[in-house]
Amino acid sequence: MKHPLDLDGRRLMICLGPGGVGKTTLCAALSVYAAAAGNAVDVMTVDPAPRLLDALGLDPARADLQEVPLDRVVPETPARGRANARLRALRLDPKHTFDTLVRRHAPSASARDAILDNRIYQNLSSALSGVGEYMAMEKLLDLVAERTTDLVVIDTPPAAQALDFLDAPRRLLDLLNSRALSLLASPRGLMRGGLRMFDMAARAVLSAFDRVTGLHLLADVQSFVTSFEGMYAGFAERAEIAGQLLRAPETMVVLVTAPESERLEQTREFARALAESGLGVDALVVNRVMPRMPKAAEIESARIPAALKRKLARNLKDFSALKAREERALAKLKTDLPADVRIMVAPDLGREPRSLADLLEIARRLETR
Amino acid sequence: MKLARLVFVTGKGGTGKSTVSAALALGLARGCDVTLADLDQKLSAARLLGVQLNGGEPVRASSRLQVMALDPRLELEAFLERIVPIKAISRRMLRSRTFGYVSAALPGLEAFLMLERLRLMTGESAGHGGYLVVDAPASGNALEMLSVARGVKGIAPLGTLNRLASEVESFLGDPARFCVLLTVTPEEMAIREAIETAKLLRARLGISSIGAVLNGAVPPLFDAAELAALSAMEEHARLALRRNALAEHTVGAREQLAAGGVRVVELPMLFRPALGKAELRSLGLRLAEGFARHT
Repeated sequence: MKHPLDLDGRRLMICLGPGGVGKTTLCAALSVYAAAAGNAVDVMTVDPAPRLLDALGLDPARADLQEVPLDRVVPETPARGRANARLRALRLDPKHTFDTLVRRHAPSASARDAILDNRIYQNLSSALSGVGEYMAMEKLLDLVAERTTDLVVIDTPPAAQALDFLDAPRRLLDLLNSRALSLLASPRGLMRGGLRMFDMAARAVLSAFDRVTGLHLLADVQSFVTSFEGMYAGFAERAEIAGQLLRAPETMVVLVTAPESERLEQTREFARALAESGLGVDALVVNRVMPRMPKAAEIESARIPAALKRKLARNLKDFSALKAREERALAKLKTDLPADVRIMVAPDLGREPRSLADLLEIARRLETR
Repeated sequence: MKLARLVFVTGKGGTGKSTVSAALALGLARGCDVTLADLDQKLSAARLLGVQLNGGEPVRASSRLQVMALDPRLELEAFLERIVPIKAISRRMLRSRTFGYVSAALPGLEAFLMLERLRLMTGESAGHGGYLVVDAPASGNALEMLSVARGVKGIAPLGTLNRLASEVESFLGDPARFCVLLTVTPEEMAIREAIETAKLLRARLGISSIGAVLNGAVPPLFDAAELAALSAMEEHARLALRRNALAEHTVGAREQLAAGGVRVVELPMLFRPALGKAELRSLGLRLAEGFARHT
C-alpha cells in the first residue's frame, strides 16, 4: 500500500492554509517522515511555536539551516534509505533574507547602502504584507538549488486568501518598479516620457499627504525607488523562476485545514482559487482529527466497578458528540470540493507534539478519506 | 473586572474569538444596544449571527444588535480621500501603489486609523448606554495593531496625526472605555499565549482592564486509580486520558491566569454534535452574567 504522501519523485512540497490549523506542525511532521524514509530533506518553517522548536531540537535564536538529529527516531539505517538521509530546518526571517537579496543584487556598495538605510526599506519587511511571502519564495529557490537535497518542504505565512502567497512577489515587484515615480522628480525624466497614470496618482496623493502631515514621504519614496532601479531585473527574474517552480509537476501543493464547520467555506475558497491559478491542490490535509471512537460494548463486558462504567459511558457519549460534529464538517467538505482532490486526515494526539517521535507518529497515521 | 464600553476580543488562532464575540454581543444585547465590529477578514462572527456583510455598512441582526465589518484598507482610503483632493483620481488608482508606499513609509497607519475609528464609535455607543464588541485579529496581530499609536507619535511629532495618536493612547488606557478579553482553550499553547499577551498589554500598552474567557472548560472525571484500572481497555483508556488532559489544562489555565491577575469567566465545553444559535445564546448569557458578577 502506498502512503498518501509517497513522494513519487517530487522535489518540493508547499503547505498552504489559513492560520491556526497547525500548518507549521504538519509541515514538520511531513518533513520528519520523509527524512526517516531515507531522503535528504530541508524544511522551512514560519513562526514556529517554542514547543515545536523543542520537538525538533532547534535553537530558537538561529535563523539559518540547522541539522535536526534524526538518530532518536531512526535508530538503524533506513531500509530503502540513501546514505545522505538527513533533515535540516530553518526558520524564515524575512528581514534578514531581504537584506541578503539586496546585498546580492545591488550594483554597487553605495547603492546597497542607500537601500539598507532608506526608511521605507527598513519598514518594508514589517509593514507590507507580502514581504514575508516573497522572502519565503526566495529562500525556497536557494534551498531547491542545492542538488544534494531530495525534498524541500515549505511552510507559508498564514493567509486569509489562498493566493496571497502567489500574489506577493507580483505586488512587491509592482511597488519596486515605479520607475516613473522617480522620474517625476526631474523634468528631464518627465520629457523622456513613459509616465503611467498609476504613478501620477500616487504622486498626487503622496504630496498632498506630505502637506497635511508635515512628513517627507514623497522624497523618501523617490529615493527608495531610485535606489532600487538597478536591482529590479534581478528580483523580477527570481520571482518568475519561483512562480514556474510552484507550478511544475515535481511540486506538491498541500492545503491544510481543520475539521471545523467555520473553516469549511474558507477551505473551499482556497481550493477554488488555487485551481483557477493553475496551481492544483495535490492533497488536502484536515489536521487534528480525533481518533475513531471505541466500542460501547467493551464497557459493558469489562470487569470494572459500575461507577467507572458509568463514567466511561458518559465520556464516550460526550466525545462521540464532538466526533459527530467533526464528521459532519468533514462530510460537508468532501461534497464541496472537486472530486479529484484527495482528502487526508491527520490525527490529533490529544496534546502538543513533544518530540520527533510524536511528529513522525502524526505523519505515519495520515489516512486517506 | 467591569466590561468597558468597547470589548476587544482576541486570543490565539482557533481559540474561539469569533464564537465568544458573537455570544457576548448576543448576551449584552438583551439589555442594551450593541454593535459587533468584525475585524476578522473571514467575518465568522457575523456568519455565526446569521448576518451577511457586504462592504462597510452595518447590518441589523436583531432589534438591539447590529453587525459591521471594519476594513483597514477602507479606513486608509477614507483618510486619504479626506486629505487629498482626489476627485480626478479614481479609486482604483488610489488603491494601486499609493497604499503600498504609505503603509511602507508609515507602518501601522491603517491599523492606527482603525483604532481611531473604534474610539469614535465607542464614544457614540457609550452616549446611549450601549456596547461595542470587537472581533479582533489573533493576539500577535492584535498586539501589533494596538501598539501603533506610539509608533505614529514617533514618526509624526507634531500636527494632526500626533494629536490623534495621543487621544488613541489615552482611550486604550481608560478602563471605562476600553478592555480586552482574551480567549483561551484548555491547551498548553493557548494558555501560554494568553498569559504572554496579558503581560505585554499591561507592560507595553498600559492597558489595565484585561479579562479572559476560558472556552471549553472541562471538569475532571477520572481519578488516578480509575485510570489505572483501565489498562486492559486501551482505546477507552486513551479517551479517558484525553478527557483528563482537558480537565488538567482547565485547572492550569484557571490558576495561571488568576496568578497573572486576569479575571477568568469559564464557558463549559459543549459536548454536542452541533453548535447553533441556541447554544450561542446560552454562552452569551453566561458571559454577560460572568463579567457582571465581577463588577
